[in-house]
Amino acid sequence: MLTDSERERYSRQILLFGEEGQERLKLSKVFIAGVGGLGCPAAAYLAAAGVGHLVIADCDAVDRTNLNRQILHHEADIGRPKVLSAGEKIRSMNPDIEVELLVVTISESNASILVSGCDLVVDALDTFIDRYAINRAAIRNNIPYIHGAVSGFDGHMATIIPGETACLECMVPEAPPRSVFPVVGTTPGLIGVLQAHEAIKQITGQGEPLTNQLVLWDGKASQFTMIRVERDPDCPACGGDSRASGRRREI
Amino acid sequence: MRVQVKAFAGFREILGPDIALELPEGSTLTGLLEGLGRRSPGIQKALFDDQGMPLKSVIIMVNKKRQTRAEFGSRELHDGDEVAIYPPVAGG
Repeated sequence: MLTDSERERYSRQILLFGEEGQERLKLSKVFIAGVGGLGCPAAAYLAAAGVGHLVIADCDAVDRTNLNRQILHHEADIGRPKVLSAGEKIRSMNPDIEVELLVVTISESNASILVSGCDLVVDALDTFIDRYAINRAAIRNNIPYIHGAVSGFDGHMATIIPGETACLECMVPEAPPRSVFPVVGTTPGLIGVLQAHEAIKQITGQGEPLTNQLVLWDGKASQFTMIRVERDPDCPACGGDSRASGRRREI
Repeated sequence: MRVQVKAFAGFREILGPDIALELPEGSTLTGLLEGLGRRSPGIQKALFDDQGMPLKSVIIMVNKKRQTRAEFGSRELHDGDEVAIYPPVAGG
């Protein structure tokens, strides 16, 4: 049940998906893996939209080099844990929601426990090894998972519904090489907001999810391209008997 | 026949965003990729590993549908096809 203050705060979106949709947001618990370039805008927009319970996990402290894009962190936050810096801004933005902050390194060994009990996972990580851990954790826990990644002027995102659609390992079966990536803040801004947007659609049941496709953002051409991807029956993460077993295969 | 190659992200930086290739009839996706690799060592390195196998981390699409590495050799190309190459970005 929404309070009078919530009805007022969310009045413009209640016009879109009704009090029922708003209550779904209020009752939902979203796990945000990483609160950097993607996680800052994703967390801010999910908080503003009224997701009732945000769990924000990140192991890093704020560095000056983060500030061109990680918009919840300010000059005064340098050296502080990112989750504390982000949590403070988000609570100030929307005091009606619950924000849980975890200073933790997400890995294969803890990912499943961390996301357990959440209704949706937003992947705002910066390496594919960690993303594969979250992807498998989402599959094991049957939680919808919104993937995003960026570099330079380019980014991509996808929505994954475990057991129904292509998963991250179906789409990108081997991790791209790890490197210090160049990035202009608007790229993760755009992809992170798109992730939050897809999360809101998923929770409220609005529109069509961006499943079985990878949405590419070419920021130099300022164009989106949709690539169809199919579920791989032999996927080591989501396919058949090998589900989440850790076996890898040659493609 | 003429095939359009559309490059994204890091691959766009070395190839340019969009090029048209004239290929003999019956050319396969493997043939196209090897031909691109012969253009420069940078392109070769972006597409193939040290053993000359296409990199698994690079997404190759024909007409916006992803092709698996096992399909490259048998995937015949046709006039008007669009081959897109995307080395996935990984940052956050």
